[in-house]
Amino acid sequence: MKELQPKILSGRPAAQGIGIGKIWILSDENKPVHPEKINKKDVSKHLEKYSNAKVVVTEDYERVKRLPDDFDLSEIIEAQIQTLNDPEVDKQVTKKIKNELNSAEYAIFSTYNEYIQLLEAADAKWANERTIDIVAIRDELIQATKEKKRVFDVRAGEIVFAEDISPTAMVKLSHKNVGGIVMEKGGLTSHAVILSQSLGIPCVINAHWNRYNIASGNSAIIDGSTGQVILRPSRKQIDEYEKRREDEINRYEKDLEWAQKPDVTKCGSEFKLRANVEFLEELPKISTHGASGIGLLSTETILFDADDFDVADQIEFYKKVIESVTEHAITIRLFDAGGDKLIEGSEGEANPFLGWRGVRMLLDKRNLLKRQLEAIYTVAGIYPGRVKILIPMISNVEEIRIVKKYCKEVQKSLEQSGINFDKNIPIGIMVEVPGIALMAAEAAKEADFFSLGTNDLTQYTLAVDRGNERIAHLFDSYHPAVWKLINMTKTAADNAGIPVAVCGEMAAYPEAAACLMGLGIKDLSMNSSSIPRVKAMLCNHELSEMQLLSERVLMAKELIEVHELLENWRTK
Amino acid sequence: MVSQNVVVKNEAGLHARPASVLVKTASRFKSEFFIKMYGYSVNGKSILGVMTLAAESGAEMELVFEGEDEQEALEAVVQLFENKFKNQQL
Repeated sequence: MKELQPKILSGRPAAQGIGIGKIWILSDENKPVHPEKINKKDVSKHLEKYSNAKVVVTEDYERVKRLPDDFDLSEIIEAQIQTLNDPEVDKQVTKKIKNELNSAEYAIFSTYNEYIQLLEAADAKWANERTIDIVAIRDELIQATKEKKRVFDVRAGEIVFAEDISPTAMVKLSHKNVGGIVMEKGGLTSHAVILSQSLGIPCVINAHWNRYNIASGNSAIIDGSTGQVILRPSRKQIDEYEKRREDEINRYEKDLEWAQKPDVTKCGSEFKLRANVEFLEELPKISTHGASGIGLLSTETILFDADDFDVADQIEFYKKVIESVTEHAITIRLFDAGGDKLIEGSEGEANPFLGWRGVRMLLDKRNLLKRQLEAIYTVAGIYPGRVKILIPMISNVEEIRIVKKYCKEVQKSLEQSGINFDKNIPIGIMVEVPGIALMAAEAAKEADFFSLGTNDLTQYTLAVDRGNERIAHLFDSYHPAVWKLINMTKTAADNAGIPVAVCGEMAAYPEAAACLMGLGIKDLSMNSSSIPRVKAMLCNHELSEMQLLSERVLMAKELIEVHELLENWRTK
Repeated sequence: MVSQNVVVKNEAGLHARPASVLVKTASRFKSEFFIKMYGYSVNGKSILGVMTLAAESGAEMELVFEGEDEQEALEAVVQLFENKFKNQQL
């Protein structure tokens, strides 16, 4: 038989790291169930099969419920157990077996499918997410009726290939020490991705592996930093990635030694590296990776996790975050829902990234805005001087004034209620819309600080939707136009005497961080796992070298020139 | 038979978590429990039934109980809607 050639797929990077191992396919057994009629005399046998299957699968979930759970999934599992024992489902399945003489498998399959269709038709944002879990129950029950329980016989180091992974399946997998996870579907905020990131499992989503003829036991390589997945790699590719993985681990360990050193360059110039944080699970990594507080706290997860945007819940969330950074400060970005992060009412926009998001949404949902401000001001009252507010998606100076007006209102009502608050919270803006970067001198009169969101700034400046595979290669933050806008923003801020920080992915690349330092931007925020390597780079160079680099980058006429300059700097 | 109209007050609507709390509470009682909304009627002890209502914030529905502990059951469930399905001892 002819040897199949290696095949490279490209997906969306979701959790860093390199995995090399055998493929283990999760959705292997979910074949459609066909209608199958049974004899009257077999009815009781099939009813028994169904009720046994329920017991087996329920026990399985009860066991998962008892596993140590740092991720608060117990409520989801509770809902799964309730679904298994849903009285209406019971009635339907029993009827389909008893009256319509269907096999237990088909009765289960068709009953659950009816509910799945109803949920898919309901346009509530959470409904689609739930169907993943209901499909999981359906398939687990069917497997159990065949007395062939869906076993998680994945071995340590194997790479899981799945259509999508339900939270419960992910909890089970997280105890198996897998080498990587590749999903057809998935979102960057799904539980599977969050767990992968916090457990350090390389993960790639939106990789269409299903089209290729692969089987459990074939080998694969996954690179969670680039999103590449190699099916049936050659010996040479395996060697290459093994080396890369080893280098990555060595480098990481070496860089980690830098984490606890002071933030100063070789020549003694100070800088600050801070962490971008979205989930509470990330907090323990902040101090071990040497971050000086949090430069960007995304608060959208509160929108997804909480039943309500309750002030007390928010206060608790912010308190947990601030207490994890000891004496440092945190910058809280107001809800930046919209774009790729859905909030009810924003679905179905033709251009969501140019749509109802960030401050635009907040100014329409004023109660939401006021409640968030109330929570932030109250927390800042407990930790005065350690909280800053960041407004996302500002495109007009006027918007800053309106938000500040609400800040005043909230302060007044807190004063009336006798609640202690910090009235000197700095209010800054995200500079991510090119229009506001061009008008930075005006914006600097209203804002207390700037934070450059380089991902969106790149996407808007170059008119490239970074989610669009066909043009994804055009998305490049090193584009000379992006550097020009960054420099303009910095100059305007200097003239007005306000600070500038960068909180985009760009800061996580050591050579880009050096160039930003050269421009005079010494406050950089990034995902905490990148901090050690950036710190190592900055501590080992003199500021004058970085200034020289940035001067050259600003003079570059083409993208390729910038790449060469930065690449040469990195490898010199 | 007792019944009462209620409004979904929590901002995210009657999604999986509140539905789970609702079913759990209702199942403690012997009475039959139906929820009527837009002409539909679903079994209030069926989590999938409740979820398919996809009731959003502000939605109005009628809670109907029938059985020996109907009054007690109604009060407990109305209380959930009032508290936005929060802080329930499960």
